[in-house]
Amino acid sequence: MSITRRQALKSAAAATVASSFAKPAIAQKSPIQVGYLPALTGPSSSTGVGINRGTQLAIEEINKSGGIDGRQIELITRDTQSDPTKAVNGAAELTRGAKVSVVFGPVNSGESLAVTPLLARTNTPQVHPCWVDSLTDAKKYPMCFRNAPTNQQIGGAANRYVFEVLKRKKVAVISDTTGYGTASVNAYVPMLKQMGAEVVYQGNVDAANPDLKPEILRMQGAGAEAIMPWSVNAGFLSRIINTRSQLNWDVPICGQTTLGSGQTKALLDKPEYWAKVYPNNFRPVCYGEGGKLPDRTNAFLDRLKSAKIDMGDTLLWWIALGWDSPNMIAEAIKAVGPEPEKLVGYLNQLKNFPGVYGDISFTADRHDGYPDQQVVMVEANSLKDGAFNLAPGYGA
Amino acid sequence: MLASIVLSGLAIGSIYALIGVTYNVMYSASRVFSFTAGTLGMVGGILGSLFILRMGLPVWLGFLLALAGGALLGVITEIVAVRPVLKSLDQHLYVLSTLALALMVQQFAAIEWSTEPQPFPRIFDIARGGFDQTFWLPMAACVITIVGLELLYRHTLVGHAFLAIAEDNYAARALGLPERNLRIASFALAGVIGALAGFAGGQLLLAFFANAPLLTFYGFVPVALGGMGNNRGAVAAGLILGLFQQAANFLVGGIFASVAVFTAFIFVLLAFPDGLAGASAQRRV
Repeated sequence: MSITRRQALKSAAAATVASSFAKPAIAQKSPIQVGYLPALTGPSSSTGVGINRGTQLAIEEINKSGGIDGRQIELITRDTQSDPTKAVNGAAELTRGAKVSVVFGPVNSGESLAVTPLLARTNTPQVHPCWVDSLTDAKKYPMCFRNAPTNQQIGGAANRYVFEVLKRKKVAVISDTTGYGTASVNAYVPMLKQMGAEVVYQGNVDAANPDLKPEILRMQGAGAEAIMPWSVNAGFLSRIINTRSQLNWDVPICGQTTLGSGQTKALLDKPEYWAKVYPNNFRPVCYGEGGKLPDRTNAFLDRLKSAKIDMGDTLLWWIALGWDSPNMIAEAIKAVGPEPEKLVGYLNQLKNFPGVYGDISFTADRHDGYPDQQVVMVEANSLKDGAFNLAPGYGA
Repeated sequence: MLASIVLSGLAIGSIYALIGVTYNVMYSASRVFSFTAGTLGMVGGILGSLFILRMGLPVWLGFLLALAGGALLGVITEIVAVRPVLKSLDQHLYVLSTLALALMVQQFAAIEWSTEPQPFPRIFDIARGGFDQTFWLPMAACVITIVGLELLYRHTLVGHAFLAIAEDNYAARALGLPERNLRIASFALAGVIGALAGFAGGQLLLAFFANAPLLTFYGFVPVALGGMGNNRGAVAAGLILGLFQQAANFLVGGIFASVAVFTAFIFVLLAFPDGLAGASAQRRV
């Protein structure tokens, strides 16, 4: 049987029409792929492990409730192992192999510094919670959004607390010799000076140094009224706290969130040494007056308890951040679909997304979504169920 | 200030000295500089914390098990990283093999133990004071080790055999000494000394996987300054290093303290290439 040109054209046209109907039917049922780059192992994995508990819970809840317009979310996870090289490999796999709609992570700054330019080149929307200031730039990385504070916000909150709330004018600023530590000191010291504080001691010390007495004595000799350490090394921070207490020096220590971690607590010579230590934290996940959490956070805690999620060895803000991020992404996909440009357009106009960790807003010019006023200081020794009391002076 | 410099300087110096002795004991038996010396120190600290704090064993049992763990790692070092390269010592392959083993053990500790420093138990249940056990335990461990090694080498048959293979292992073998077994025993002994350094210094350094490169590095300085294979020189140089490092911490502080230590180290080696207590090797021409 011969086929005429007209018949062939008709068949081709019919096939094209048929395929254009069939494709959305399949797409509607196929899962939406979301890339995820947590550090679940390696030296900086404690944050990633905490965040992962919230992320897994959120994805489970979204999928159990029917997904996004009937489509399940498929979380494609690549453990970065706290290593920027592996994070880059994971990102390449997610964007070139799996072709995900959006990527959440990496969750550590060092890895994000390596991954963000790569995701920008592949036009993949990215949401990350890393603090290094340069990681968001609406012009350079128009598809990258930060749903966490910047280093400037973190240091600013600590500086304001020391200078304005505690009224300490002479300050000692110390860090370890890591990139994070030295960058923090370089950024925060000018901020303190601009506020009118006198930085009487400024130093970068090897975190492996087993004896910090010389440094603490130097601070004391310079007349410091507060110590501000910037390091994520629990050993380094605990040595500062232990030495201050052994010298019976009654000055507050205010700084990095790790000051309030269970790992730091475990290394203290005596539990009472944790008094007058004020780490950074976030108002929505802190106990206010009367030891109460905000209603939204209480409801979240109930979810965690019913899902039997362990909070004893992690921090509430890590889990909350992990839970908020997929929910924010899901809300965006539900509103405009998984296409990158539409997602970015939606996020550029996001206003007060009601996260447990914080209310997130973006504009086309500002991709740092965390509000200043929600970055606070807390009492380290008040840790209970992964959350802290607000430091004295904040009120409710 | 002087008391603080002396106290913590001698304590940390004793740990460096013990790691230096660990290098020497392995070197004497094999002519190999095994870069697992600092790893043995790290393992001593981690095993001490594991057995006593995590598993709740009595201190004496935790101590003995930590030393046994060190001895086992010493033997593994000899079998895995030293024995295969003994025939080609002049190619210095041991640098690669011992460093590779050290790195593997360090990564294993990071994965299985923790990547964060963990607390080390108080060994004696006595109140904290100025001259605390944190400081005197490493010093005591150093004294006991040196006296013990002197007694072993001078007054026992096994000690004489150790000295014989250290002096000339071909001649020792010709005399019928079991060279391989003695070498294994030397590495086990080095493992015990390294683990003892980590255990005694655990309260100062904590149980931390990253102590391995620190001890490997700073423990090598006493060996270089004191003369290779010279235990007395290593102890003297280790104590001087600790005191100098602590004085630099007080006087210049911060990262400049490390710079001061290594500047001094380089100048000493320029002035005394064979170390402060080392004798220059004679070469037949």
